Amino acid sequence: MQTAIRRPVRPTISHWLAPLVWLLLLLGACWGMSWLEPLFRLAEPDSRDIIYDRADFIVLLGRHLQVVGVAALLAIGIGVAAAIAVTRPAGRDFLPMVSQLASMGQTFPPVAVLALAVPVLGFGNLPVIVALLLYGLLPIVRNTLAGLESIDGGVAEAARGMGMTGGQRLWRVELPLAAPIILAGIRTSVTINIATAAIGSTVGASNLGDPIISGIVNGNIAYVLQGALLIGLLALSVDSLFARLQPGSPD
Amino acid sequence: MRPNSVLISLMLVLLATWLGLDAVSVAANRIVPGEGVGVGGIAGWPGVLTSLMPMLAVLLLAWRPTGRHLRLALMLVILMLTALPLWLVVAAAATVDPSLPQARMAIGPAVWIAIFVLLLALIELRGRVPLPSWQNGLLYLLPLLSLALSLMLDLEPLALRQEYQVRKSAFLTAIGEHLLLVSAAVGISLSLGVGLAMAMRHWPRAQRFGFTLLNFLQTIPSLALFGLLLAPLAWLSDRYDWLAALGISGIGWAPALLALIAYSLLPMVRNTYVALEEVDPGVIDAARGMGMSRAQIFRQVRLPLGLPVILEGIRITTVQGIGLTAVAALIGAGGLGRFIFQGLGQAAMDLVLLGALPILIMALLADALLAALTEKIRPGGTH
Amino acid sequence: MIELIQVSKRFGDALAVDDVSLSIERGELCVLIGTSGCGKSTTLRMINRLIEHSAGEIHLEGQPVREFREEVLRRRIGYAIQSTGLFPHWTVARNIGLVPGLLKWPRARIRERVEELMALLGLEVEEFADKYPSQLSGGQAQRVGVARALAADPDILLMDEPFGALDPITRESLQDELVRLQARLNKTIVFVTHDMDEALRLADRLVVMNHGRIIQQGHPLELLRRPADGFVESLLGGADRGLKEAALLPVSQRMTALDDAPLAEQRVSQQATLREALSIMLWRHADCLTVVDAADTPVGQLSLRQLVGAGDARAAAGRTDTDQAAG
Repeated sequence: MQTAIRRPVRPTISHWLAPLVWLLLLLGACWGMSWLEPLFRLAEPDSRDIIYDRADFIVLLGRHLQVVGVAALLAIGIGVAAAIAVTRPAGRDFLPMVSQLASMGQTFPPVAVLALAVPVLGFGNLPVIVALLLYGLLPIVRNTLAGLESIDGGVAEAARGMGMTGGQRLWRVELPLAAPIILAGIRTSVTINIATAAIGSTVGASNLGDPIISGIVNGNIAYVLQGALLIGLLALSVDSLFARLQPGSPD
Repeated sequence: MRPNSVLISLMLVLLATWLGLDAVSVAANRIVPGEGVGVGGIAGWPGVLTSLMPMLAVLLLAWRPTGRHLRLALMLVILMLTALPLWLVVAAAATVDPSLPQARMAIGPAVWIAIFVLLLALIELRGRVPLPSWQNGLLYLLPLLSLALSLMLDLEPLALRQEYQVRKSAFLTAIGEHLLLVSAAVGISLSLGVGLAMAMRHWPRAQRFGFTLLNFLQTIPSLALFGLLLAPLAWLSDRYDWLAALGISGIGWAPALLALIAYSLLPMVRNTYVALEEVDPGVIDAARGMGMSRAQIFRQVRLPLGLPVILEGIRITTVQGIGLTAVAALIGAGGLGRFIFQGLGQAAMDLVLLGALPILIMALLADALLAALTEKIRPGGTH
Repeated sequence: MIELIQVSKRFGDALAVDDVSLSIERGELCVLIGTSGCGKSTTLRMINRLIEHSAGEIHLEGQPVREFREEVLRRRIGYAIQSTGLFPHWTVARNIGLVPGLLKWPRARIRERVEELMALLGLEVEEFADKYPSQLSGGQAQRVGVARALAADPDILLMDEPFGALDPITRESLQDELVRLQARLNKTIVFVTHDMDEALRLADRLVVMNHGRIIQQGHPLELLRRPADGFVESLLGGADRGLKEAALLPVSQRMTALDDAPLAEQRVSQQATLREALSIMLWRHADCLTVVDAADTPVGQLSLRQLVGAGDARAAAGRTDTDQAAG
């Protein structure tokens, strides 16, 4: 039962080094892609266009982040609130259904969710955001539930016995103790969403998936590589940022 | 006894969407956009009232949720799920003009939401009504039978079915490709994963590095990994003819399989490692104390205790693989994803469904089957 | 003062507490004892309304507990439990300051109070204030738990097997500590345990429960001498009862005045219990001890005959002994 409890660590530059390096690489790749032209020419020696130029990489990165960010913020807000609601006495009735739905829903492939959002919402950013939101909710709800339920019975009882109100227990005891697990859920959710958003460029959302799709369509491997490189770096930057926020994780 | 607020809210949502949203949409051909038709437009007032009866009945039963009432509600929910396909047959007959062979009917939001809400009600009721497993199986059989019956009977105008009719053989091939790719990836990553987990147990120093690398691979988005594999594979098959002769090239199944294996390795290795490593030390201690040899401990203690955990790894990779294979269609690996992306390209939503629905069903089935298997072989039964 | 009037608690069809009436005086240490599942914890938790009673009334200083707001009631009552329930993400100091914080005491006063309590329970402020519960030993954590229960200086303290998870040596030292604290603070304490030695050691009033009912209550000596039935007797330890009684009686009660005879060589403090005196006799093979006061001045003597109370047939005759009757 003894879990490692976080001591307050003073954040140092070296603590944030890994995400910082990934981020710099990402931004460097966005701005300096043309410098790598000779390298990409190796992959596509016969083509005239080596560097994807239909949109600025930095703009594509911005749009990618925007879609993922909006979906993630909504998913965090709704997911955490829903999990809290169904663990309160008033909402307990809904707990079995919500927790089953959250674990079953994760078997849905994200692509299928994305594809199913299009018939309902049409093409563009909206279906992507909705699909990301719906899919991103699941790990957050599941982990928030797991985090809230994992709290030691004695701690919960003591909090009540000491005369803390429901709100005080939630904000001062339950959420802080569940925070690492909730954060892990958010990390999973965002990681999946960065990947799914890239596929979103097949349904008319413009983002870092564009160079890949366009490269596949036009048979230009250099485009594909550029898109893949940037998406990979973006995923690694965000993931390593979460890894730093979340002590006790393996990397 | 308190009313069951879950069932009540579900039924209220069902009533509101059933009455408020379009049940089907009808189009003269594949090109023109469909026109929505509500429930009232299909069967008139008598039909609407009939369809409302079971919903209202469940609502009333949920008000006093005794065991008997809940069992009745469960039957009504199954009844509604069974009636939906047959109701679609009626809708097709009522809305599609038989003189237009190109005319087609697509399923509308009211029906999709009804299916979703009824499945939620099923989950809720299954948690509260204890049933023996054979009856449980029967529950799901009824709606499926009715679906099959409706498809045989008279659902010609259903757009989804028309899309299927046009590419019957392509559909079966796609399912075959999909399953082949997933099972190959799971099989290969299983043997690799067991090997790697054993190696990590042997060289603890490699363990940290190994997990860091696998975590790293898992973080890279699928589309990017597929893309990054294109170039080296294309280069290799250009250079070595025997590779090209094997069918390996930058696009196609080769990068897809490689990427699928890369993604499968983390859950596989992690679970195998946990299965082998984290058996209760007290149990191993006792086994050694009784004089069991290393091999005996492995065969008789570690393996049976670890097998469910390994199976769990197989379940995760299989479900994940089914979804990722859909993305692999973008780089020409075939599979059901092809219909999705073709459909998206042609703005033909029913073609998208033709790809997405089977993927969804496959994922759910694989998950349920492997979870049931894990439960079955777990020593000492359910924990 | 706490008063339970015909209190019952029903969980579904099961009756966990059945028509319990109990009145606990101010400054009394009342121990509820019984096997697990006998309803003793439920009874305790109904007092601070962690569990609501289904029938009867519970009064606190004459006022029904239902008339308080739950949180207000609980902040007035200290509460310590077996698993300590210390918040793992808070330091020791913050844990102890919990209830004063809830009561919105000024910061400086909370700090002062925390330091006072840590000193009271033998926890070095410099060493422990900034530690986290996971860094404490079981005994230290339980001390923090008791300090937290005492933080807002409540008149009433509810303790649910607080020392149950500790090793015997730590448990005894904390029991001593509690006796010492109680002598100083004079709280009304309701203490739940299933350990009879602990109960006998601490209780002013012992309440034996079984199947949700009170079987017998009274001073520990009273129960030892006249157990109401076989259950109470078996709980009190059958053949061990003589020693248990001896552990409750001070030497001063049986000693006789010094006479002309030479002083016995072995000595015993007049504060010691008869049990300790008997132990010295057994160990030293002595049949008579010199009783001394705190300054080691002889004040009386105690022979083996006097120690066992031989000749006091009147007292012995009054004792029920279902044990022998049963064979």
